Amino acid sequence: MFQHRSSALRGFRQAVYTGFSTVAVTVAAVCLLSVAACGEAPRLNAGDAVVDDFGDTLRLAAAPSRVVSLNPVTTELLFALGAGDRLVGRTSWDLYPEAARAVADVGNGMGPNVEVVLGQRPDLVLLYASESNRLAIQQLRAAGVQTLTHRTDRIADLQRVIPVIAAALGVDSVGRLVADSVHASVESVRALPRPAEPARAYWHIWDAPIMTIGGGSYLSELLEVAGAANVFGDLEQPSPQVSLEEIARRDPDVLLAGPLAAERIRRTPGWRAVRAVREGRIVVIDTTIVGRPGVRMGEAARFLRLHIVDSIGRPR
Amino acid sequence: MKLHVWLALVLLLLVAVVLGVLGGPVPLAATEVWSALRGVGDATQLAIVQNLRLPRVALGVAVGAGLAASGTALQATLRNPLAEPYLLGVSGGAAAGAVAAVTLGLSSALLLPLFAFAGAVVAVVIVLLVARAVSGHADPRVLLMAGVVVGAFCTAVIMVALATAPENTVRGALWWMMGSLGDAQWRSLRWVALYVAIGIALLVWWSRDVDVLALGEDAAASLGLPVERVTRRIYLTASLLAAATVAGAGLIGFVGLIVPAIARALGARNTRQAVVAAALAGAALVVLADLAARTLLRPAELPLGAVTAIIGVPFFLWRLRSAR
Repeated sequence: MFQHRSSALRGFRQAVYTGFSTVAVTVAAVCLLSVAACGEAPRLNAGDAVVDDFGDTLRLAAAPSRVVSLNPVTTELLFALGAGDRLVGRTSWDLYPEAARAVADVGNGMGPNVEVVLGQRPDLVLLYASESNRLAIQQLRAAGVQTLTHRTDRIADLQRVIPVIAAALGVDSVGRLVADSVHASVESVRALPRPAEPARAYWHIWDAPIMTIGGGSYLSELLEVAGAANVFGDLEQPSPQVSLEEIARRDPDVLLAGPLAAERIRRTPGWRAVRAVREGRIVVIDTTIVGRPGVRMGEAARFLRLHIVDSIGRPR
Repeated sequence: MKLHVWLALVLLLLVAVVLGVLGGPVPLAATEVWSALRGVGDATQLAIVQNLRLPRVALGVAVGAGLAASGTALQATLRNPLAEPYLLGVSGGAAAGAVAAVTLGLSSALLLPLFAFAGAVVAVVIVLLVARAVSGHADPRVLLMAGVVVGAFCTAVIMVALATAPENTVRGALWWMMGSLGDAQWRSLRWVALYVAIGIALLVWWSRDVDVLALGEDAAASLGLPVERVTRRIYLTASLLAAATVAGAGLIGFVGLIVPAIARALGARNTRQAVVAAALAGAALVVLADLAARTLLRPAELPLGAVTAIIGVPFFLWRLRSAR
């Protein structure tokens, strides 16, 4: 399960994705407040107009047959919707499911090389809604290719994104099924008995500079779902930079890190300032599952519940 | 230099070291720090003082002393007050080496400094070869020009590497290039300290030759000094000294530029005094700048290279104005 050699890097990449998201935080917050609106997918029909997170309009016509996805979250979603066979391009980071690996790699997904994307002759391109993608979106549209741009930064975002993409692909009913099952799997973890005091976790994203997750991030939300708390939850940025000394002071019960980073933390003497490291409480995570607010986030929440709350709890 | 100036420099360094160990993002009382130094206290406090702050301050002393001494020797030998490792391609070579390590996926704490050092050595050797090919001997002006050009080439190599690398890699490399003492560990510190000690000792040992060089090449040659060999020897030693500090802590600019100016302003009468005075002042400056870097924006850390530049540039401009 934890064999991906560069999953720590991909985890960081997700943090970068998350970093672009100040506006999305507001969108997600509004969504969270109106659970009903998010829980029930809007119904879309052929001829309807779909508006994406950049305010661009896509008029649903014939379902696209050649899709390029420049966001790991939408790549996984495409396969979950049963439309994986329409995928003709993905980013270097999209390695799940297995079938996605066979699809052409068109680059790292942020500020993409438009010519390479067009070379795949797509009729729809899915992108992450970051400023670095704006120029590419204009160029793709000018070339007559439809685009859908979404911020996928928070748990609630997926409930907003799934119906739009499912509608664009002409698989609305499957979309509702997928959205419901993702929602249900996350809520099933949230519904488990809560510990009286949540385990306090430090989530390691990057070594130099040391970066963690702040309160405004999907991973922080996921910790709450699992019944744990983020020791840096009071910081507003999605991926703030912190000092080792400050981590030691906040004294988390457990550290979460990708396999390579966990090894570095164990080896580096300075990290012994953190009690959880001295006492060996490091949980190695597969950042390709736990790091992405995608269709597998129920699985991610269950993993955290099992490895933080059920096995470590609150050892004080 | 007068005795009280020396005492003041030593005292300044001591104060900087004490402040560096006392201060940090986590407030610890002086008594707690003192107990931790003697091995008494809870494990977290012990680790913060012994594994985080002490190696950081020690690395700051080594890096600051090394950069300042190197800058002083380079300025004296090349007879140009602007000469410093940054300008001469040494830092550029080290940065290119480090970026190469990162893009090859070899960015471990052990390999990154080795690649940086190798990059710096390659850059210095190329500068020396170019200088020899152009002028037939180690002409200071040609050395400077070759250094600038090789530095520019290294920047281009870095840009190519970063343009084709994924942004996570870029971030790690950029952070490293901004300079930081955050990776200080006793194990890696040992060889940086050894290198700096040997480098400064050699520069002090040869400083008499530099003083003779300062009389002008012809005068020095007529006094029996092998001008070319001396220039090359000191250039190489000072560059390798700077390369070791860059390998230990990334790129920390302006220390090698402004501290030698301070040493001269304090009244250093010859190269030997200037090198030693600059080493003391440079060590104090880097330790204090690092203290600022890790406390000003708590819980985040500022890049040390940015702090030294923010202190260094206005100071340098002010010096330029008063020198007019």
